[in-house]
Amino acid sequence: MIQALTFYVFAFFTVVSGALVISARNPVHSVLFLILAFFSSAGLFVLMGAEFLAMILVVVYVGAVAVLFLFVVMMLDINFVELRQGFLQYLPAGVMIGLVLLVELVVIVAGHAMAPEAGTTVAQPIPPVDEISNTQALGELFYTHYIYLFQAAGLILLVAMIGAIVLTHRKRDGVRKQRISDQINRRAEDSVEVVKVETGKGI
Amino acid sequence: MFEIGLSHYMTVSAILFTLGILGIFLNRKNVIIIMMSVELMLLAVNINLVAFSADLGDMVGQVFTMFVLTVAAAEAAIGLAILVVYFRNRGSIAVEDVNMMKG
Amino acid sequence: MAEIPNIIPALPEMFLASVAMALLMLGVFHKTGGINDIKASRLISLLSIVALLLAVLLVSTLSGGRLPTFANMFVSDTFAVYCKILVLAGSALAIIISYGFLERHDMARFEYSILILFATLGMMMMISANDLISLYVGLELQSLSLYVIASFQRDDTRSTEAGLKYFVLGAVASGMLLYGSSLVYGFTGTTNFDQLANLFDAHHGETSIGVIFGIVFILAGLAFKVSAVPFHMWTPDVYEGAPTPVTAFFSVAPKIAAMALFIRVMVGPFGGLVGEWQQIVIFISMASMALGAFAAINQTNIKRLMAYSSIGHAGYALIGLAVGTEAGIQSVLIYLSIYLMMNIGVFTCILYMRRDGHMVENIKDLAGMNRTHPMLALALTILMFSMAGIPPFAGFFGKFYIFVSAIEAHLYTLAIFGVLSSVVAAFYYLRIVQLVYFEDLEEALDKSAAPELAIVLTGTGLFVAFFFVYPTPILSAAAAAAASLFAG
Repeated sequence: MIQALTFYVFAFFTVVSGALVISARNPVHSVLFLILAFFSSAGLFVLMGAEFLAMILVVVYVGAVAVLFLFVVMMLDINFVELRQGFLQYLPAGVMIGLVLLVELVVIVAGHAMAPEAGTTVAQPIPPVDEISNTQALGELFYTHYIYLFQAAGLILLVAMIGAIVLTHRKRDGVRKQRISDQINRRAEDSVEVVKVETGKGI
Repeated sequence: MFEIGLSHYMTVSAILFTLGILGIFLNRKNVIIIMMSVELMLLAVNINLVAFSADLGDMVGQVFTMFVLTVAAAEAAIGLAILVVYFRNRGSIAVEDVNMMKG
Repeated sequence: MAEIPNIIPALPEMFLASVAMALLMLGVFHKTGGINDIKASRLISLLSIVALLLAVLLVSTLSGGRLPTFANMFVSDTFAVYCKILVLAGSALAIIISYGFLERHDMARFEYSILILFATLGMMMMISANDLISLYVGLELQSLSLYVIASFQRDDTRSTEAGLKYFVLGAVASGMLLYGSSLVYGFTGTTNFDQLANLFDAHHGETSIGVIFGIVFILAGLAFKVSAVPFHMWTPDVYEGAPTPVTAFFSVAPKIAAMALFIRVMVGPFGGLVGEWQQIVIFISMASMALGAFAAINQTNIKRLMAYSSIGHAGYALIGLAVGTEAGIQSVLIYLSIYLMMNIGVFTCILYMRRDGHMVENIKDLAGMNRTHPMLALALTILMFSMAGIPPFAGFFGKFYIFVSAIEAHLYTLAIFGVLSSVVAAFYYLRIVQLVYFEDLEEALDKSAAPELAIVLTGTGLFVAFFFVYPTPILSAAAAAAASLFAG
């Protein structure tokens, strides 16, 4: 009962904020609703017993991705009214296509009950929660069985880093940066000149 | 109704995925919203995978989700970087005014 | 304790990954002054080409039997070896023909070659994928690198627009592919290709609606990556907007890798469900051939024309997959090898099209070129004849094997449709030849002094012209590769 209620609350917020993401007038609101959608689906993840992924969703998505979106939305000075043109024009066709797709996908849900293959093979059974926590169970798979993909994911993040730097980094003139090596290499003889001043003459 | 099973989660996922596709259709000009719609699609995939994982009692679904999350974060970073350079050149983010190249 | 996986089958990938990271370090520390450091860029380009050639050697030492590793998520077989050599060759050629272009267009940054190396690595992982998760990860490593390469000329509006379009549509396609993968996983309980194949065999091709939907979503994602109709919309814009050597790269290596992945997924795990997907692939193939033939006729920009041409070529290659037999797959592999050489050759010709130091991309700019550039005109003519499928050039044999395999499988409609659309397509290829030889010269193209372009053009031209003399090595290698796919 409690579980059902929690599910419906989280599911409701996920779906509603998802709808608001695509229909909000102001993209800043869209990003905020996206954050709400991530939070609510993190709740759904906890309900399904995937608490590590729920935390990752909050940390990585809300903490990094959504903030990145927010940053870009606010950094670029964009006329959003102009960008909304065509929204109403595409609305009828879009909703039609959406409805058809939704019906088809729900048919799939119903079809799961009579799937001949469902649940025949389990490659990595979930260990009992009271013995091994979800985080530990995932960790034990990542660093052993899935080491290949783990490394590949690292390469993907490296490419993302290279890409973002290559595209957006610019060397600007007139920027004074701290050069630590120069500071350390600097010696007293280079900068201080000891001058013997004769008395009564001035410099 | 009060027995929450796989099909409930799959329905949520199906609705989110549809919303993602719909968002791309409706906001053809606004690339930022399109990117957020893609994030919604990926979120739907993740809910699906975790639900299947819980239903089958199989960790593979959660492992898959983990990789989807990682890749999606990288994808968002690259997408926004491209968007920023595009904006610097055009002063607008509307993809539809393709005066430069006619389809 | 888990056992240490056997790393031998993945040695080429590990080599390439290490080299790419080492070169990245080298480039960063070698770079002296400004953002466009020509010296660092040259050094890294040369070393990348060497690394790709070494990777070819490493790959070709693996050509024995089926070697799965990393918990059966990665597999190296003769099919993978064949496709990887093609992809590596395509990437190496692309770096070679970019060499001078980067400097002339103010984009000589060493990250270019590094990103091509990472993209190539992603392609090799795609080709060797034996699990839905490794398929996705490999595909994304490739795609993310390609998005950046497309917008590499970051001060150019067209290049960044191409990058943005490619990114948006690519991300949507990945989302579809992923949703399909999640459905397949949920309805079968496994992501491994071998287990999926066994499962569908055990059920004698009968399956649930969820799996069918999953396959349709995966098909849509893959069709995007090979730029087949109806997921081709990005191709003309991206090909036109991206810098020319990048377009050359896009038109070969990623396409070959995606086609290899397409074949592996359809013939491997979903091979038992051939009745379900064959009709879809036939439709995609016919639509791509028709669009490639008719939409190209009115194009004035040569890069756009090549984009439609590559959509058409994807259609021909998909005929072989639709046939689904060993002979069909063999013909696709032969076709892809010839396509690689032809396309690189044509794009090298396009790179020659400069006037007053600027690139010109209009087809009209080629008019009367044989007066000033007789050798270039000859090479372009050979390549265009080959593209059109006129014997005895290589392109004819590529199409020939494809159509024969379709006829042997009694897919007569598909074969006839293919022949008809290649007749239509021949029209616009031959129009270029007619422009080059029979139109008046208006303004001469620049005399180019780029030795790397001359070498590549000579090589590809000779390959295309004299393929018929000694085709046996490619034919038998393709046969062995196709056989390895059906052996398991």
